[in-house]
Amino acid sequence: MHVDALGEISHDPLAKAGAIMLVVITSLALFAPLFSNYSPHDYTGNIFSPPDRDHLLGTDSMGQDIWTRLLYGARTSLLVAGAVALISSSLSLLIGASAALVGGLYERLCMRIIDALISLPTIIVMILVAAYLRPSLPLLILLISLFSWPGGARIIRSQVLSLKQRMHINASRTFGAGKGHIISKHIIPDLSPIICALMMQDARKAVFMEAGLAFLGVSDPTVISWGKMMNQALAFTYLDVWQWWLVPIGLALSATLIGISFLSFSLETAIDPRLRRDESIEGSMSVARRA
Amino acid sequence: MNISNKFGLRDSPPVRASDGMASEAHPEMGVASKLLCFFPSSLVNYLIALAAIFSINFILPRLMPGDPLQAIYGQEALVVMSDEMEAQLVRQLSLDKSWWDQMLAYILSLMQGDLGFSYYYREQVSQVILGALPWTLLLTGLALVLATAIGLILGIESGYARGSSLDRGLVAGLMFLGGFPDFFIGILLLLVFAVSLQVLPISGATSPYAGHEGLAHILDVLKHLALPLASMILVQLGGIFLLARNTIVTLLAESFILTARAKGCSERLIKYAHAGRNCLLPVTTATGLRIPQLLTGALFIEIVFSYPGVGSLLNTAIDARDYPLIQGILLIVTLTVLTANFLVDLLYSRLDPRVRYAR
Repeated sequence: MHVDALGEISHDPLAKAGAIMLVVITSLALFAPLFSNYSPHDYTGNIFSPPDRDHLLGTDSMGQDIWTRLLYGARTSLLVAGAVALISSSLSLLIGASAALVGGLYERLCMRIIDALISLPTIIVMILVAAYLRPSLPLLILLISLFSWPGGARIIRSQVLSLKQRMHINASRTFGAGKGHIISKHIIPDLSPIICALMMQDARKAVFMEAGLAFLGVSDPTVISWGKMMNQALAFTYLDVWQWWLVPIGLALSATLIGISFLSFSLETAIDPRLRRDESIEGSMSVARRA
Repeated sequence: MNISNKFGLRDSPPVRASDGMASEAHPEMGVASKLLCFFPSSLVNYLIALAAIFSINFILPRLMPGDPLQAIYGQEALVVMSDEMEAQLVRQLSLDKSWWDQMLAYILSLMQGDLGFSYYYREQVSQVILGALPWTLLLTGLALVLATAIGLILGIESGYARGSSLDRGLVAGLMFLGGFPDFFIGILLLLVFAVSLQVLPISGATSPYAGHEGLAHILDVLKHLALPLASMILVQLGGIFLLARNTIVTLLAESFILTARAKGCSERLIKYAHAGRNCLLPVTTATGLRIPQLLTGALFIEIVFSYPGVGSLLNTAIDARDYPLIQGILLIVTLTVLTANFLVDLLYSRLDPRVRYAR
């Protein structure tokens, strides 16, 4: 299981493409003030102006600069992605691993809760809770995390269950290693690539959920969100503004999602020996065909 | 909407289902499960999920600070209510009594199909939702069937010809498509076909005041359905395709395929009757797991196309802060998801004789 996943994916063109996309988006978000002369809340006076030198993507129905809002919207998406990835994967690890290690009634209870949560239409539950508690960014992060850990916990549990039976763990136990030693020296390091993959999945889900909820009208009113901007822009499809308002934001959102997908897909291929073998067969087959 | 489901890898249902269920099935196999042998064992999960929704709907408004009636119906609704109406609602919901009585009253009214009153539509919530539900079911049902059929066929063909240009093209194309958020795919289709080319209607489910009848009416409905349906199929297709393809690739190495070849079966028979049939199982499991996503995806697509289903209703309810309506939608959508999951479980045990005999 000790695979150098990072070293492995650095040669994968898919991972490179994903990483480049994410680096570009992240730096645009981080250094947003350098790339634009406006504040996202500025009213420039003229509404629906087409793209020109002053306004790279024109202005929206309120006369705000769309390019600036696009940059600051990336901050929201990435912040939510990072925070949810941390909280949700910690919950997955905590509950999945403890279920597998403790076993018994506790494990069955956890699995029941996980199964029930997975079969719920979570986005509507989030909408209801957020509508009651008045949506704010921390609340949205918490809500998305609370509903996205179950899938990961299931994967962690099954991994720990199979790890528990592995030869090197048994060997370590034979040498008198305690539970704490086995968990910290063997199980956690073996799980780390999977946790990485889970965090990326959670991040992807979080970007999607945040934009989706904002698109549905559930978002922090003080925060700029791509989903909210798309929802506003959708009301003006009868004008030409969608070309520089609706489409660029949608593409930015898609690029973020696809960037994370590519990275995580490549990482999954690197850590799953089953998929790697599959690829090597495919590779040798194409070599054979060429020869 | 996680990437693995889209790509059908890693925690794809055959892996996930088997490592989840295999270890779980044993403690369950007691006397109690024999009593339940007519039902899939997942029925308990559905009951738990339903109970969770009941309690969210019941507890959440009552936890809010201030007047519980205001929390249940929202500030805007109370402004238009007379004192008399308020008093009647307090009596009806037993808000002046203990939590226990309130819960009894809540469950009793649910049993009678009473989901509360939507002040925005000035109608019973159940009536409002029942008016919108058929459109959503039409959209999701058709999308589910068509996406599964197309995904299966493409996956079988692609997996059978692994490494060919068809296979590579389909995998790359559908993987790329899978990266887009579903409402953006809907928006792109809307912009291309309804806004720019203007070949298909931009919104709604029927042409208003057209008064079409018979065949013309059906054609009209189909024309309005085309874009939302196409977006939903495009969103769903990638996951089903990749799962079917990967299953076929592993199945082709099995010995029963070799036997079929040795018997002299035709390629088509091997492809569909031997490999294809076995690939139905993981795809069915995946479909079951995908139903919540399918329905929530439909909500977004409906909003993009202003399709008069539950999604558009939800959008209105959020904007109007019509809490009873949001609660009702949550309950009905959950019930729909759980019923669909239950049906998939039944179908699964029909498809896989091993599941039937295992009981």
